[in-house]
Amino acid sequence: MDGSIGILSQVAFWGLYSGCIYILLATGLNLIFGVMKIVNFAHGEFLMLGTYVTFFLFVISGFNPYVLLICSIPVLIVVGIIVERLCFRPILGTGKLNEIFISLGLIYIFQNMVAMIWTDEWRSIKSPFSDITISLGPLQLPLDYLIIITVTILILVAFYLFLQKTALGRAIRAASQNRKGAMLMGINVEKMDMLTFGIGAGLAGAAGTLWAVSGQVFNPYMGSIPAIKGFAIIILGGLGSIPGAIVGGLAIGMVENFTAYTLGGSWKDAVSFILLIVVLVIRPTGLFGEAEE
Amino acid sequence: MKRESIFCIFLAICLTFLVLSSGCTEQQPAAQKGEIKIGVVASMTGPASTTGKDIWQSAELAAEEINARGGVYVKDLGRSIPIHLVQGDDESTREGGQKAVSKLITQDNVDLLVGGYSSAVVSAHQAIVAEYKVPYIISGGSSTSVSHRTDIDTSYMFFHRPNTDDSGEASVMFINEVIRPSINSKFGFSADRKLRMAVIYQDSPFGKGQLDAVKNLIKTENLPIEVVAEEPFKMGESDFRTVLTSVKSKNPDIIYAVTFLNELVPMTQQARRDVGLNTLILSIENNDDPDYYKGVGSYGDAQVMESRFSPYAVPKGSTEEATRQFLSNFDKKYGGFAGMMGAATYESVYVAAEAIEKAGSLEKAKIRDALANLAMPQMMEIMKGGIISFSPDFHESKFDLYVVQLAIDPASGEPRPTIVWPENLKAKEFMLPDWYTPGST
Amino acid sequence: MKISNARDPRTLLTAAFLVLAFLIPLFIGSNLYYLTILILMLIFIIYASAWNFLTFSGQGSLGHAAFFGLGGYAASLLALRLGLPPLVTLVFGGAFAAVIGILIGLTCVRLREWFLAMVTFGFAVIIQTLVVSQLAPVTGGWDGYPVPKLVPTSIPGYLMIEYYLILIIAIAVILIFHYLLKSRIGLALAAIRENELEARAAGINPVPFKLFAFGVSAFVTGIAGSLEIFHFGYITPEIFGIDLSFWPIIYSITGGLGTLAGPIVGTIVVTLLWDGLNAVGLTYARFIIIGVLLVLIIIFLPRGLVSIPEEIQKRIRRKKS
Repeated sequence: MDGSIGILSQVAFWGLYSGCIYILLATGLNLIFGVMKIVNFAHGEFLMLGTYVTFFLFVISGFNPYVLLICSIPVLIVVGIIVERLCFRPILGTGKLNEIFISLGLIYIFQNMVAMIWTDEWRSIKSPFSDITISLGPLQLPLDYLIIITVTILILVAFYLFLQKTALGRAIRAASQNRKGAMLMGINVEKMDMLTFGIGAGLAGAAGTLWAVSGQVFNPYMGSIPAIKGFAIIILGGLGSIPGAIVGGLAIGMVENFTAYTLGGSWKDAVSFILLIVVLVIRPTGLFGEAEE
Repeated sequence: MKRESIFCIFLAICLTFLVLSSGCTEQQPAAQKGEIKIGVVASMTGPASTTGKDIWQSAELAAEEINARGGVYVKDLGRSIPIHLVQGDDESTREGGQKAVSKLITQDNVDLLVGGYSSAVVSAHQAIVAEYKVPYIISGGSSTSVSHRTDIDTSYMFFHRPNTDDSGEASVMFINEVIRPSINSKFGFSADRKLRMAVIYQDSPFGKGQLDAVKNLIKTENLPIEVVAEEPFKMGESDFRTVLTSVKSKNPDIIYAVTFLNELVPMTQQARRDVGLNTLILSIENNDDPDYYKGVGSYGDAQVMESRFSPYAVPKGSTEEATRQFLSNFDKKYGGFAGMMGAATYESVYVAAEAIEKAGSLEKAKIRDALANLAMPQMMEIMKGGIISFSPDFHESKFDLYVVQLAIDPASGEPRPTIVWPENLKAKEFMLPDWYTPGST
Repeated sequence: MKISNARDPRTLLTAAFLVLAFLIPLFIGSNLYYLTILILMLIFIIYASAWNFLTFSGQGSLGHAAFFGLGGYAASLLALRLGLPPLVTLVFGGAFAAVIGILIGLTCVRLREWFLAMVTFGFAVIIQTLVVSQLAPVTGGWDGYPVPKLVPTSIPGYLMIEYYLILIIAIAVILIFHYLLKSRIGLALAAIRENELEARAAGINPVPFKLFAFGVSAFVTGIAGSLEIFHFGYITPEIFGIDLSFWPIIYSITGGLGTLAGPIVGTIVVTLLWDGLNAVGLTYARFIIIGVLLVLIIIFLPRGLVSIPEEIQKRIRRKKS
């Protein structure tokens, strides 16, 4: 054997890379859940929009696609804010599952609007670094993935600093810990809702750009499965827990790839849900979730 | 109040559609026999809609051409009548397919059906077609589980496509006759060395069918090929890195990839670029498409593909002119390239016209008989013996499949295919690329 | 409950509706297209009603296609292997789905509604993967297998008979739901749905009731799945698809969650709208319109289309005062 350690660490590296996309999605979902106590199943459509915004700008401008992060994040923040205002604000505090049902509607709307504009053919773009691969012993480390992993870490650090060090970030955390209390303290909770939803969508948009840059193909229907896995991740990690989202994202990325390695690729989607069910049976609040109520 | 009025307006629009729908589905008067009605079953929506559009547009093109020449002569009527196509959107689902086909049969009173793509969708409306005895020229549904069904009467169904056994056979023959000897001679292996082949296949009827066909063939023909890995992946997958890493550890000489185009592009890139797998990937006919060459870029260099309709590698001979004509007409009308499914549907419409002319009647039983006894010169795709005819057992037409190898075209920077197999069609010799490394045992 | 009151407009409407359902085939004759649409509509009315029944207990599922498909596979395998008539194996299909449903319910009763939604969604994915990989020797994998028809095609007018059979099953299912909800069980379910803590305080143990709701819902869903398979005459793993999990949700919400009439009205209106939009040649726009309709209904008409008359009455009263 050509060092099975080498193969295993290679698989772990692929897991790390796919974990990055999941982490960005799950962190956004978790932030939104923390503040608004809603789950948005249409979150994957933000990921999809992110890839298409990147694709569109890349085709007309020809810029280095990594630079387009500067565009895809703000565009998605705006989209997120619009969606929050139009769709989620009116149903806050109504039925228990209404937000899930409304996101079903949003999924149809987004997927098919994109399909109308760009058709539903598969698309891809090419990163300028796609030909560079760094060999480290038995490991193959394409430069793009190293950049993607670094960018993800940078985004997460920036996000952490924003939450900890800025007044806005503190307000968001306050709203997330105790909505009524925050309201009493004079924090405009509705504004925080809008903002968190926007940031969550923005993180998904960043994930979209990274998805496109890594040379993965995309079409209008690509968002649903990653988003649902993102949702499995935050349940796994514990609702509202950002470290939980990061650990959960990495765990799913790894487990998926090792399952594909051992059981075969058909189990790749199913295994995340098996993991989820097993964790929930043992710990109904998720790994890092606090016991509520 | 204002928002509520928007809602009311929306509801009103929906209601209008409701009323419209009842109007639209109103039973049409029995066909005036002034035209031939052909129903085209195509996925205009849903995941298969890219192929669906290709199918519909190509059928439209064929009908227009036939009508421009004055239509189809029907002896019973003593005159030529034009073809009228009716679209049936199967929505890429089984429920949608059943609704579409039953509408085509009873509301639109079609004389004949063409099209059909996904095997699962076709399987759900075959029973209706069998019952109503409408001739159906199916250009998709490559799984033999659809064409070799015995529980229903398939005598009105005709399959104008190679089934998974056919395309598997051509690919394996090529591997055995060409690739295996050239590896052995280039690297000084003994002539009886078993070729190490890894199969990466889509977890679907299409992928499973190919895998079974390939394994069966190797076993029954006792070929010196060893399948060292069988790796399935989910339909629509775009991350093959782990699967490829696993395959790499098995040291294959060649990868047999059963994929859709959107899967082959990332697979090829990731194999060569990310995983460093310097081996050949042999793919299946449905990937011979301009979008593949554009998407795969330089990583497609030297790869091989089994094919039956190629946009760039048009085989020399009788089919060349027809193919070029079709491609340029399609481009003129819709812009862009027609795909393999489009080509097969285009031919299917011509086949339908020929059968009606032979039958001299629009009676379905007569059209069926004409189809069963059809012997029509090949058009664009190369058929066995140069004629399109349907086998007596399962009504499948038999194709002469070929294999292309890609090489980078300096002008476009994209790979372009050239036919390398079989002998009578090839335009150049198959070459192992310099970067190729065989799998060690 | 004023169901027995003959002057109640709802009773009249229901009666008119039933008469219409029974008479429709007389008007359209044995037209394949209309009967196909009607049969699929009835199957989905059963399916959506079953999904909706779960919401009476305050639970929601995003993966009901799992039970739809399990019912289909169990019933058709029994029919094939043992040669039993489809009408008999239907019940076994439902029972099998119910057993699996209760098992899933057991792992879920302690979970909050979002978790349940996820677990059910994941369950459908897991089942589909199992069916095409490990269970492939029995299920035929992706190829699936042919299945006998509900009514053999050799019988003249078989489609019409099929329609009436499914209509009777649908009516039976809805009547059962009606009596279940009127019974003490229904009251307990409502109490649990409104406030689980208070229900506990009142001495209701929610677990058996929730499991019961899950079992009944899975049972009826399994029957609907078997009906579809026996109607198609062929089964493939596409039956576990995400879209098949979502349609009953869309139907129920459009018609009105938590009402018996909701899923019926919703299924009829949405299918007609869908096929109508299809007939006018809309493709992607069809999905967008359904999506917008769904969003608007959730925001402005949370109790669905069936609440329109009430809303109008309310509006009129408000104007008068």
